[in-house]
Amino acid sequence: MIEFKNVNKWFDKLHVLNDINLKIPKGEVLVICGPSGSGKSTLIRCINRLEKIQQGQIIVNDTPVHDKSTNLTKLRAEIGFVFQQFHLYPHMTVLQNVMLAPVNVKKIAKTKAEKIALEKLEQVGLTEKSGAYPAQLSGGQQQRVAIARGLVMSPEIMLFDEPTSALDPEMIGEVLDVMVNLVSEGMTMCVVTHEMGFAKKVADRVLFMDEGKIVETGTPGEFFDNPQTDRASEFISKILTH
Amino acid sequence: MISFYFGRLMEIFPFFLKGLWMTSKIGFISLVTCTLIGFILGIFRSSDSTILKRMVGVYVAFVRGTPFVVQIFIVFFILPEWGVQLEAFSAALLAMAIMGSAFICEIVAGGINSIPKGQWEAATSAGLNRIQQLRLVIIPQAMKVILPPLVGQYVLLIKDTSVVSVIGIMELTRVGWVTVVRIPEGLMVFTLVGFLYFIISYPLILLSNYLEKKMAV
Repeated sequence: MIEFKNVNKWFDKLHVLNDINLKIPKGEVLVICGPSGSGKSTLIRCINRLEKIQQGQIIVNDTPVHDKSTNLTKLRAEIGFVFQQFHLYPHMTVLQNVMLAPVNVKKIAKTKAEKIALEKLEQVGLTEKSGAYPAQLSGGQQQRVAIARGLVMSPEIMLFDEPTSALDPEMIGEVLDVMVNLVSEGMTMCVVTHEMGFAKKVADRVLFMDEGKIVETGTPGEFFDNPQTDRASEFISKILTH
Repeated sequence: MISFYFGRLMEIFPFFLKGLWMTSKIGFISLVTCTLIGFILGIFRSSDSTILKRMVGVYVAFVRGTPFVVQIFIVFFILPEWGVQLEAFSAALLAMAIMGSAFICEIVAGGINSIPKGQWEAATSAGLNRIQQLRLVIIPQAMKVILPPLVGQYVLLIKDTSVVSVIGIMELTRVGWVTVVRIPEGLMVFTLVGFLYFIISYPLILLSNYLEKKMAV
């Protein structure tokens, strides 16, 4: 479903992605962790071309993402993206936030789009907030709206970039619950996170990155209990004692 | 004596109204064209394209770095030498459009650049194209930043129409000059001229203040 082939990317002299090779099959839940600056956010941002790559190829559903001829609109409609800082549109209500893409990208009629949007809001447990503005919601609620905004396009892939890192501790649970529900629906997910509980519970595979390289991959059991590299075991002990 | 001149002034008051009409006409047309061109240039100036950015940057720097009177002279006296012959009214509108759009461009670009990068990224990820991103997500938010200085710029534009009197257009200021030759009571004549400008610009000043307060919330 998603494939990285010898992908390299530089920010000026900094080698942020160093010869990445990776296959993510349909339905897999992949958790990506690693220290800050290791390239994990950049990795998932390349999948919907929020970032460009300088070498190699990324293929999503047989589409080469970084080809000039690629229909980006269609590609992005199939990939939901959830940001650390939510990035809801502050001048629109919750419902308008969720409806924007279906109406303008998929050209779905407004009444129909509203129905779909309300379904997705129900899925994240926020139907009663549909008329509110983002500023009136808590961080956890905003992030759940952001997830609904991604889901409303019926994507095959959802990408999460540290979805709980900007949240107060008591709100992390409600967001993770929504994500766990998605897993049970068979969604293909790439999640950049340090939530070990989430990783252990639902991840099929954990990928550990450092300095732009994939250092280690394994099942959550293997990775957390028996890391193969010193770098990974050092990292795990740090987030455990944290 | 003053009352005598005041009587004469009132006799030729329709002449002033004509000047006011011409000032309003140039002012209004300029506001519309400057806003349209200014928004397009502002969008270019805040785009990712280095070439577009630089080209607009040079244009803005040139316009901001030269006096408006000189710009009018270039349009009215120099362009004909290159074969572009304009009558005074068109030349005035063109000069106003060039000058005003440069200032509005800066206001618009500033507003667009004030929107966090995450808004662009969210709209991009949703599959919106560049124009939809601007129209639906970026500009509506940027208007909060753009509107108060934009209306302030309108006041400046209306006052700057007085400069086009130098190429013989019978707008308010020129009417003042012509009148003073016949009624040698400069203070009285130009107080009237100033008052008529004020009538147009004061509502805009009030609007600008109101918007500033409203947008600050």
